[in-house]
Amino acid sequence: MKLTKRQLGSVILLLVSASYAFQNRRTPPKPAPVDYSKFSHRTPKHQGECNTCHKIPSRGWQKASTFPDIADYPGHDACVSCHRNQFFKGVRPVICSVCHPKTSPREEARYPFRNPATKLQFTIEFPHDRHQDVIALLQKPPTQRVAHHADNAQSYNNCTICHGERSIPAAVTWPDSYVPRAETFKSSPTGHGSCFNCHWKNQEPVATNCNGCHKLAPSPFSSLMPQRISLKFMHEGGGDKKVHIAECTTCHINITKSATLRGLKPDVPITACSECHNREGLRQDVSKELAAIDKNKAFACVYCHTSDVGSLDPPASHYLIAERPPLKRKEIK
Amino acid sequence: MHVQNVKRIYRTSILVVLIALPLFVIPASTQNPAPTGVLRLRVRVKIGETSKGLARKRFYLIKGTLEQNRAILDAAKDKSVITRDCFYSKLGASPALIDWLKAGDCESIYCREVEPESLKTVPEFATAYVAAEKEYGNAEIGRKWLSNNIQPELRDGFYRQRQNVLQDLLKQAEAQSGAPVLSVMTDRNGTAYFTDLTPGNYVLTNLLPDEVGPAMASWNCDVQIKPGDIATEKPYQVSNRKDKNVKCVAVEEPLPACK
Repeated sequence: MKLTKRQLGSVILLLVSASYAFQNRRTPPKPAPVDYSKFSHRTPKHQGECNTCHKIPSRGWQKASTFPDIADYPGHDACVSCHRNQFFKGVRPVICSVCHPKTSPREEARYPFRNPATKLQFTIEFPHDRHQDVIALLQKPPTQRVAHHADNAQSYNNCTICHGERSIPAAVTWPDSYVPRAETFKSSPTGHGSCFNCHWKNQEPVATNCNGCHKLAPSPFSSLMPQRISLKFMHEGGGDKKVHIAECTTCHINITKSATLRGLKPDVPITACSECHNREGLRQDVSKELAAIDKNKAFACVYCHTSDVGSLDPPASHYLIAERPPLKRKEIK
Repeated sequence: MHVQNVKRIYRTSILVVLIALPLFVIPASTQNPAPTGVLRLRVRVKIGETSKGLARKRFYLIKGTLEQNRAILDAAKDKSVITRDCFYSKLGASPALIDWLKAGDCESIYCREVEPESLKTVPEFATAYVAAEKEYGNAEIGRKWLSNNIQPELRDGFYRQRQNVLQDLLKQAEAQSGAPVLSVMTDRNGTAYFTDLTPGNYVLTNLLPDEVGPAMASWNCDVQIKPGDIATEKPYQVSNRKDKNVKCVAVEEPLPACK
């Protein structure tokens, strides 16, 4: 029997396919080796009840915290129950490096909890609206007013419970080599301090209900700094009288309706600034810079912004408060 | 043959157009989002001879007109309300605690820090403080965390019972209007903003009456939102007194008797 070229080709293809299938059957793909130096809550067996591993409060919390807290890594028992093999593998077991900078049986030192060098695994669920409802009293009651006490001082319960003054973030390169002052920023909570005041027990989510606030993210992520549009604005500024110190929601207008942190934006309308900074007979900071653009379309607005933002087209809202029709730089001759 | 080719080309063209259509339609709609509006509230009330901004009160915006939302507004009206003082006194709260809440216009004890002075004057705080200090082994934590050691009803019962009623009403309003109900809280000057509003008719309401001086005030007003950023224009004025600039006037009723 003589095979045609086409038949011969089909036979060769069949043999190659069969051989490939046979090889695949004999050598199934090997699972990727587990990196025991990295701990992930995404591992299904690491998703049990939180207090299976984390003791609340941690044993010896007094050494690391001023209040009862989850201030340390779980004890060895939490790991050994499943990872005995990895625990006693070699002189310096890799698994120890999840918590310990040095892996040695005599070395007890641990990284800070949580280790700031690792990526975050949980997002935080925080309803600003509900907290606005119950806290954030506006002012001290009249009986407790103190003479010479600045009216705008925020010593009462309000947003500053969680958002205090923060130091200048390190390792950030600012546009125009501008170095903002510490008064520019407000901090965000990085621990349980302000939560446990009310949520230690009885008021859900309580300390033992970690899932009430911590939601496992789809993948680990790095903490992001919010984008600053008006970098030169200082929260604690406003001249000698520090008039910028106001009720937070006066400027951050969407906070009281915000039920989640997802998609939360600072949302400060220009009117929050212009009531002082673009007022007839007082100051004309916005109008002046818009007029400067009329004369030189490359002019960068620098009163509030650094040049990366100040070189863009001013938004229509800025022209509106200056009582002018909006303009694009390219339209200016 | 020629006719068949023409038909095939025609059919293919229709298919290409149908497949490609969403590519043109979807980006166009995402690039040009529908214009939205803003409602800037300024709520001022007159109590006796004093006018002031109504601070820390929540207002809701329900899609539709007053007429379209009549059923939900009637349901809200039918809810029995109780004053804060009455609620806590019925629970057996001490007069000192009731005064402490009243001094800060607080619905719960969370609204201001319990200062050391109040540990001596408010019996509920004193008891909780002793328990908290013993439990946490630290006087300062005992004070700051004392809300953890107060009976829940005395802690925030008034707030929670109002919330339960409000949440029921909000669910009904959303089901009826077919749109989420929006809410904001006024700041110390009585100002608040609703943003990103789809143009159309809404009802501005506080749903449950609020204590404003010696009366319970209910606001239910028609509001029409137009496209554009009107936050920079005149605010929408809300008050408990009629005035030429006031667009939404409260219906006031005397405080209910505490039975």
